[in-house]
Amino acid sequence: MSDTGSSNGKLKKAQEHPSGDERYVTLDRTMKRFHNEKDALLEVLHSAQETFGYLSEELLFYISNHLHVPLSQVYGVATFYHQFTFEPQGKHNCIVCTGTACHVKGSSEIVEEMSAVLNIPVGKTTDDGLFSLSTARCLGCCGLAPVAVINGEIQGKATPETIAEKVGRILADEMVVQDQEEAG
Amino acid sequence: MITLSIDTKTIQVAPDTNVLKAALDNGIHIPHLCYHPDLSISGGCRLCLVEVEGQDQPVLSCGLTAAEGMVIQTQSEQLTELRRGVLDLFISDHPLDCVVCDKAGSCTLQEYAYEYGLKETSYEPTVSSALFQDDNPFFLRDHQYCILCGRCVRVCDEIVGVHAIDFANRGFETNIATPYDGPMIDSTCVFCGNCVQVCPTAALMPVSRLQRGREWDLDRTLSVCGYCGVGCQIEYATKDNAIIYAQAPEHGAANGTFLCTKGRYGWDFATSPERLKQPMLRRDVAHKLGLTEEPWELPETSPLDIRNPNVEQYFVPVDWDTALEFVSSRLSEITESHGPDSIMGLASARCTNEDNYLFQKFMRAVIGTNNIDHCARL
Amino acid sequence: MSREKLDQIAEKEQARQSQFDKRIHCCISTACLSAGAGHTIQTLRDSVEAAPTGDEVEVVQTGCMGLCSRGPLVRVQEKSGEEVYYADVDSECAEELVAKTVSWDQAQAKQQKLSSELQTVRARLETARRKRSLKKHILSPDMPFFTKQVKVVLRDVGYVDPEKLEDYLAHGGYEALHKVLTEMSPEQVCDEMLNSGLRGRGGAGFPTGLKWNFVRREQSDVKYVVVNGDEGDPGAYMDRTVMEDNPHQVLEGMMIAAYAVGANHGYFYIRAEYPIAIDRIRGAIRAARRHGILGKSVLGTDFSYNADVRIGAGAFVCGEETALIHSIEGKRGVPRMRPPYPSTSGLWGKPTVINNVETFASVPAIIKEGADWYAQIGTEKSKGTKVFALAGQLTNTGLIEVPMGITLKEIVYEIGGDVPGDAEFKAAQTGGPSGGCIPNTHMDTPVDYESLQELGSIMGSGGLVIIDSTTSMPEFARFFMDFCVDESCGKCVPCRVGTVQIRTLLDKIIEGRGEPEDLDKLEALCQLVRSTSLCGLGQSAPNPVLSTLRFFRHEYEALIPTNA
Repeated sequence: MSDTGSSNGKLKKAQEHPSGDERYVTLDRTMKRFHNEKDALLEVLHSAQETFGYLSEELLFYISNHLHVPLSQVYGVATFYHQFTFEPQGKHNCIVCTGTACHVKGSSEIVEEMSAVLNIPVGKTTDDGLFSLSTARCLGCCGLAPVAVINGEIQGKATPETIAEKVGRILADEMVVQDQEEAG
Repeated sequence: MITLSIDTKTIQVAPDTNVLKAALDNGIHIPHLCYHPDLSISGGCRLCLVEVEGQDQPVLSCGLTAAEGMVIQTQSEQLTELRRGVLDLFISDHPLDCVVCDKAGSCTLQEYAYEYGLKETSYEPTVSSALFQDDNPFFLRDHQYCILCGRCVRVCDEIVGVHAIDFANRGFETNIATPYDGPMIDSTCVFCGNCVQVCPTAALMPVSRLQRGREWDLDRTLSVCGYCGVGCQIEYATKDNAIIYAQAPEHGAANGTFLCTKGRYGWDFATSPERLKQPMLRRDVAHKLGLTEEPWELPETSPLDIRNPNVEQYFVPVDWDTALEFVSSRLSEITESHGPDSIMGLASARCTNEDNYLFQKFMRAVIGTNNIDHCARL
Repeated sequence: MSREKLDQIAEKEQARQSQFDKRIHCCISTACLSAGAGHTIQTLRDSVEAAPTGDEVEVVQTGCMGLCSRGPLVRVQEKSGEEVYYADVDSECAEELVAKTVSWDQAQAKQQKLSSELQTVRARLETARRKRSLKKHILSPDMPFFTKQVKVVLRDVGYVDPEKLEDYLAHGGYEALHKVLTEMSPEQVCDEMLNSGLRGRGGAGFPTGLKWNFVRREQSDVKYVVVNGDEGDPGAYMDRTVMEDNPHQVLEGMMIAAYAVGANHGYFYIRAEYPIAIDRIRGAIRAARRHGILGKSVLGTDFSYNADVRIGAGAFVCGEETALIHSIEGKRGVPRMRPPYPSTSGLWGKPTVINNVETFASVPAIIKEGADWYAQIGTEKSKGTKVFALAGQLTNTGLIEVPMGITLKEIVYEIGGDVPGDAEFKAAQTGGPSGGCIPNTHMDTPVDYESLQELGSIMGSGGLVIIDSTTSMPEFARFFMDFCVDESCGKCVPCRVGTVQIRTLLDKIIEGRGEPEDLDKLEALCQLVRSTSLCGLGQSAPNPVLSTLRFFRHEYEALIPTNA
């Protein structure tokens, strides 16, 4: 942060955080919008995860301090809701829907196949940080079951093969990028 | 007042009283694990079910407000069956190693398992959390015994106001946790130990009592805590004249069923060899008064160093009369020679209001000075 | 803003729409989008632009048209009101559709210069004109899928552009709100609801008018209205569709409730898995605020109202009203004992109306058309219509709205078009993880609250999954039990531990390690969990097991080794 003399309030706010991380500006803005009310905890956690990708210990502590909610409660709330994650997520992600309609149309086979292809259990990220695999309880696209979402794009009427192929292509592209970086 | 009938007994209670409290206060026992009279209602243990006349399904008595003319049954075949079923589930997630458990004899779950004749679970024993945390000198947390009644969480939040622990995760994985399951010392815990006292099982246990005797081996002595003027009732559990643990007795006039960290854990002085048991006079003063024959001079280092184990090297034990006589004669001498304002009195927060009142009276009326203060002001 | 001004906007929009001879509606709801509706609508727009004529045609993005399994869906609406549906409309089909919809009459030709890109599109249209494959895409209007449905909640869904308040107004939007604010007392609104016979569409079926009356009678300076959009049943997406495709309808229903009970603030609680629904509701709130529909003086009256959105975070149990309240308050979504009910002590301890999306979405129509009109649909105890998300092994799956009392047979064989392939229809699962499986032998069961309950299932929020003969019922039951284990909040022991033990028993049976007495044990445990759990989630968690044990016990028995 070179702009220390700036009168910009937002920048100053970010500097209040010892790390000087500007993402805290976004988080502060959310908290301010809710007047730092304790009730806004869930909204603030959403905003934190959206901004930082995951909820670190430091973040929870920061939120606890600003909302005046005991840290144990912040931790308790964050761990209750499955939407929140405590580990950095992969660059790409694959979510397989395991809702009823998808289940009866064989979504568990897709999950197994993906777990084997990526060599990680559900809910984890590959060691190289490239891919995260997770499942969802119904994405509400039951008419297209089984469904998977890769990088936000819904893949309807999926099969283990189509999804593996799609993921394989993304991984192959990543390899090319890596090779180029190494060469360059 | 509201009149209702519980097990054919007619009972009068204040409005807004729940049926469980009404029953317990009138000597009718309904099994319960999550309910505690001083805490908010949870309704999670599902044991305090009763039958209400006019209602098809049994209802939880802790969440049922007593109403005029209500007719309650606390015992029936159906209720026994349901409670037995629920207890069966409880013990499927709780090691049944009562024979070696320090809590045996004061464990509520054990008491109910006995009452309902459950020797073992009829299900596949599956313990949800095996976390074992002995990260502080006062109490340990052994999660496998935890039944998630939540009394500890509520007492910490509602009574102590610290909220050091809360429920974390959910479903079968739920556990009572400090943030990130970290050590207690890193949390906001003040180590008052009220969570330990309200815990119905062996999930939270005072370290001091581990393997030092079971409930039926212990003697109990009711006392008043000496740490401050509040006058908390305190109950010492002892064995062979040694304190095993301290806790608040039920219904202490000043403290209810709670204590602070000092009263609960700060009793090791009781059997300390350094403990002062009678008045003592400094050796040189004692010699001047003719109480000892040996002359003695003050060394350069302070004799008041309380960590000095050889206190008798500097002091001579005397009886109370000698000590008080010496004090009063010195006070008189000083007042006469230097005036009353050369003396100051400092009272203690550990004394009662009455003690402190007498003390200031003594300073003003007997000594004749207003120089009086109190350590709580510092 | 006053009603007159809104009327002007509505009239202007109607006038604008009526300039077009034909309007092409393209569904852009989640299911169609993932089937490629994004490309379809782009092609439709480009083609209309590149067509020789085309000023008389408008391409409109709309919400769900129902038959999700055949998406992307497109409907061509003539000025006369005549409609033709097209299914599986890919880009190629879209071109042909436009080529055959616009006029090629030179006299009407547009005066325009085409960019090189549009020239290519024009060329493609010329070719498409001669193709003959469009007919295959036409869905017959006589299809039972369409004729068997009665649309109340969904009547504007699929017609209105969800992102345009003007379009909603043009379809008579906020007329019902204006009516209650200017012509009815709160008491009359509650009575109207009571007379309509509308029951909560979230699953339990509590009469809506009764609930509103409870809150109305409470003395409190602050009251709240909460829209429960935490549609967590796997296999159900009715509420998502209504929120995404006609958000103003839900908002209007919510505001009518607010007026009826005397609330001035409300919340939409929407699950995080529905980002589009969240955006659309937020958009609707913003638009309504801009036009004076929300705020200090609603439609120029002295009623004031504001609404906010709160986002769930992946917890099924938050669909339970007390858990939902905790969640809005920023706490763990754990239910508490009732009473007190939210109608006396809800959000922040204040009297609160909580209804689900579909319930609120039914309200404007009831106010506009009258309680009697609504009450004549359905059965004696279950009035009106119910939206179902029809899914599973059926030819036609998607979103349907049917009158209460319709038989399962009609839904499965007529609307759903039977099970595809050689497999046979085996059972219908209603109510998601809280519901049960109804076997094909009970196909004549009318779909209403009481009949489904008698069969050990529930109406639920409207998930309806069809299972064919290839599915093993014990495994299906285990699937739901997995769900319940995962979603149990952990507060009470029967649900926290009981569901785990039910699953353990199911595992044992499915893996062939079962003993003859295990089935009775399973049943007894299910009954225990049902009668001792704290909230609805726990109490209904054993339903999938109990209902399959009841109707498909032989499948369980077959898994138990005979020599055991």
